[in-house]
Amino acid sequence: MSDPRLELPQGTLDLLILKAVALEPQHGWAISERLRQISSATLQIRQGSLYPALHRLERRGWIKARWGASENNRRAKYYELTRKGHAQLEAETDAWRRLTAAISQVLETP
Amino acid sequence: MLTDLIHRLRALFARRTVEREIDEELRFHIERQAEAYERGGINRGEALRRARIDLGGLEQVKEEYRDALGVRLADELRWDLRLAARALAATPVVTSIVMLSLALVIGANTGVYSILNGLILRTLPVRDPARLVHVTDSVVTDGATRVRAWSYPAWDQIRQRTELFEASTAWSFVRFNLASGGEARLVDGMWADGGFFEALGVRAVIGRTFGIHDDQVNGGPNGPVAVISYGYWQREYGGAADVIGRTMRLTGVPFTIIGVTPQAFFGLEVGRTFDVIVPVRTEALIRDADSALDSASTNFLSIVARLRRDQSLESASAGLRHVQAEVRAATVGQWEKDTVDRYLTSPFTVVPAATGYSSLRRRYEGPLITIAVIVALVLLIGCVNVANLLLARAIGRRHEMSLRLALGATRWRIARQLLMESVLLSAAGAGLGLWFAAFIGPFLVRQLSTPTTVVFLDVSIDWRVLGFTLAIAAATSLLFGIAPALRASHVPPIDALKDHSRTTTESTRHRVMGWLVVVQVALSVILVVAAGLFIRSFIGLTNRPLGFEPDPVLVVVMDAQRTTAPPLERRPLYERAREAVRGLPGVADAAVSYLSPLGGGGFTPAVQIEHSGAPAVRVDREVFGNLVTAGWFTTYGTPVTVGRNFADDDRHGAPRVAIVNETFARELLGGDPIGRMITIFANTPRAISARVVGVSTDAIHGSPRERVPPTWYLPIAQFDVPEFPFPTARLSVRTSTEAPESLIRSIAAAIADVDPQLALTFRPLGSQLRASLTQDRLMAQLAGFLGALALVLATLGLYGVTSYAVTRRRTEIAIRLALGAAATRVAAQILTRVSILVGIGVAAGTAISLWASTLVGGLIYDLQPRDPATLVGAVLVLSCMAALAAWLPVRRAARMDPVAILRES
Repeated sequence: MSDPRLELPQGTLDLLILKAVALEPQHGWAISERLRQISSATLQIRQGSLYPALHRLERRGWIKARWGASENNRRAKYYELTRKGHAQLEAETDAWRRLTAAISQVLETP
Repeated sequence: MLTDLIHRLRALFARRTVEREIDEELRFHIERQAEAYERGGINRGEALRRARIDLGGLEQVKEEYRDALGVRLADELRWDLRLAARALAATPVVTSIVMLSLALVIGANTGVYSILNGLILRTLPVRDPARLVHVTDSVVTDGATRVRAWSYPAWDQIRQRTELFEASTAWSFVRFNLASGGEARLVDGMWADGGFFEALGVRAVIGRTFGIHDDQVNGGPNGPVAVISYGYWQREYGGAADVIGRTMRLTGVPFTIIGVTPQAFFGLEVGRTFDVIVPVRTEALIRDADSALDSASTNFLSIVARLRRDQSLESASAGLRHVQAEVRAATVGQWEKDTVDRYLTSPFTVVPAATGYSSLRRRYEGPLITIAVIVALVLLIGCVNVANLLLARAIGRRHEMSLRLALGATRWRIARQLLMESVLLSAAGAGLGLWFAAFIGPFLVRQLSTPTTVVFLDVSIDWRVLGFTLAIAAATSLLFGIAPALRASHVPPIDALKDHSRTTTESTRHRVMGWLVVVQVALSVILVVAAGLFIRSFIGLTNRPLGFEPDPVLVVVMDAQRTTAPPLERRPLYERAREAVRGLPGVADAAVSYLSPLGGGGFTPAVQIEHSGAPAVRVDREVFGNLVTAGWFTTYGTPVTVGRNFADDDRHGAPRVAIVNETFARELLGGDPIGRMITIFANTPRAISARVVGVSTDAIHGSPRERVPPTWYLPIAQFDVPEFPFPTARLSVRTSTEAPESLIRSIAAAIADVDPQLALTFRPLGSQLRASLTQDRLMAQLAGFLGALALVLATLGLYGVTSYAVTRRRTEIAIRLALGAAATRVAAQILTRVSILVGIGVAAGTAISLWASTLVGGLIYDLQPRDPATLVGAVLVLSCMAALAAWLPVRRAARMDPVAILRES
């Protein structure tokens, strides 16, 4: 394990995916690129684990998929946030903020 | 939840599409990733390679993806399904026998359930049936709702008090005659209040329904109008659209057809339907002088009300009781004092009417539930057979199973595959069974119909029946699937190493099969006992002394309401008809009467008896009466044993005379009948006293099932009660031919010569008698058939188990025979085991029968429910069948050639 980047904590990949598709529908590769660009310095995300995760979210009804044409006119599967997904994203973001705040507080208390 | 299910189902059923989509999506990813590398100056081959590495190995990702999709479980299930189908197809004969027998029993269960559903569970085909109530004046007595009928004046009082309910309406069944004289053409009609359709929320499919403005004595603005049922429209008018506006003559009065009711609407009584509905006030137009609209004594209407949304049963009843005194006081008739008191005080109440009222339900609820239990037991026996079969097969495949276990299959996986076979079998059985049920239900309903009452019951398969079938299919597959599945999955893997091991699990396997035999035998005893009881009861009923000879008698119902004869002239008219018929060839005798046996209706006015030297005493039990002419007793072949018969000169003006039956003479007159005075309608202005001049043999009145009640007969000509207009009378004709029906034409012609406007209905007494035993005949036939089926199934099961045991122990038996054991000893040993099992089963079955037979006591006549002869007979029959089933394979075992067997193994 010479890779200096951090392993993604359990369950947080879902949150990141929801965040990545929050603005507009994205296909899988674009999501992985986005996650890489934003966080490649610190987080290690295996591209392959993205797809099972996407499907889990779809089954829960947080995102929905449809086939569309990509930038270079190829068929690609686009994912977008559902109304339920929006609510979930907000709830999880909020929970994450409170968790990290609480942990920082504990760590920074001398 | 739903999206999850959709995705799983998609994974299961659109497997190929899902797989292609995964592939396409991942390829797209790699393509884009490679393009990104290429833009960075890397050549295409290398770019693709790196892209694949980034992704983490295409096949591995796909596998993870499939897991997330839930495809793997679906895959395995599909695989199990295919294996199961292949295993079943490998033994086509056994599989189809099992499937067919399952289909039969599941179909029988579903069919019976569909009738129960139609008769008991289904709500009425009207808007919001849950808010409908019956308005009645008696409290529920025997657990079943008795809905009392109301007179028109009483209904009129309730109708005017609109604050009581959201809406209320009243209706009644009536038979209309389409012919204007001679042989009647009857249709089933209904009187209904003008607000009937509005209150029920029933709309016409074509034309319109009638309303309050149509409910007038002479019809509304459009004259008398009629609404016909969908069935009648199809049957009589071929569904013609121009039926609206046509005229139909009901008992001589022209009505204009204004609409047709929906197909599903059969009225408010489950088990019957109607052809035509007319407004109730047109009754006065049809019945004219005989109209009951002003009579407080003629109770013929059922009142149904719709509760307001905020109204409870209690508050509705309370509201009714509040107005009870006014309603009653306004509608008192000229009755005896007790009757008036009872009338004024019996409390008004409402009872739920969502499933309607049904005399058919009251009559057949018990028999149907009994049959439902019996078919359920047959299903159990069938399941036990299938379980035995699958168990034997699972054992036969033990080597295969243990090999798979040794190679790493989980026990759950193996159990699942065997369960899948059961599920496939029962699914196929249920599918076929539903198809059978679609015939069985209507077939049974047709058996319930008699010439005079046609039973109409909606037994179509609805969601409830479908749910029931699914439930029993699931239950059966578990019942017979679980034992083999458990057995097979508990095979030790080490067995795979042995060649054809048949030692370790043998004893437990036998234990399971043994218990299954016990269950089967016990259930069969119960069913054979039930069959015996119903058959013996039916035979008893048909052999009961009736007190008359039914076969030569033809009953003619004469209806004088549409003749020009005034009410007082009707009796002479009926007697002239009698004279005309008596002169016909083939007629031995004929008599006019008010009622006829098995003809429905009862005449039970209070009777008072004078005892010498003591004041007259009112009889406080129900006494039947009939008004007859001379010739009655000879026509029916009922002997007058003491005193004299009625003569033609016992008429108006002569001293009044009476004949009583033996029960009356014995129980009410102390065995000294001749010369005693009996009085009917005592203490009213209509009181009639007559002197007893003769005693006749007991004869049944309403049904062969009931005890003969005390009965009196008066000459119809001496019954001078002006309130009795005799709208109808019966002419009973004793024919000297074998087939009384053959005289219908000449009798009709003879009566038409007397008055062509007399409406006639012909009822051969013999067929009426058979019709009155429909229920008992059907019970005997069904129970007999199902009992026989149970017996056959149990015998087959026992035979199967015994011969299987013998086959498995061939080597052992052969060795013992070779070592010099006597064949009889070997046979005795096997037979002992079987006898013990059968013995336990018979004992358990007998015990359960002793308890259960009291439950059907109400359906059995002339017989104790614990009839010893039936019980002993059932035990004997079962033991014989069991002995035969066990002996055949054992004989084969004892006769086998040990050398050949030993060489073989």
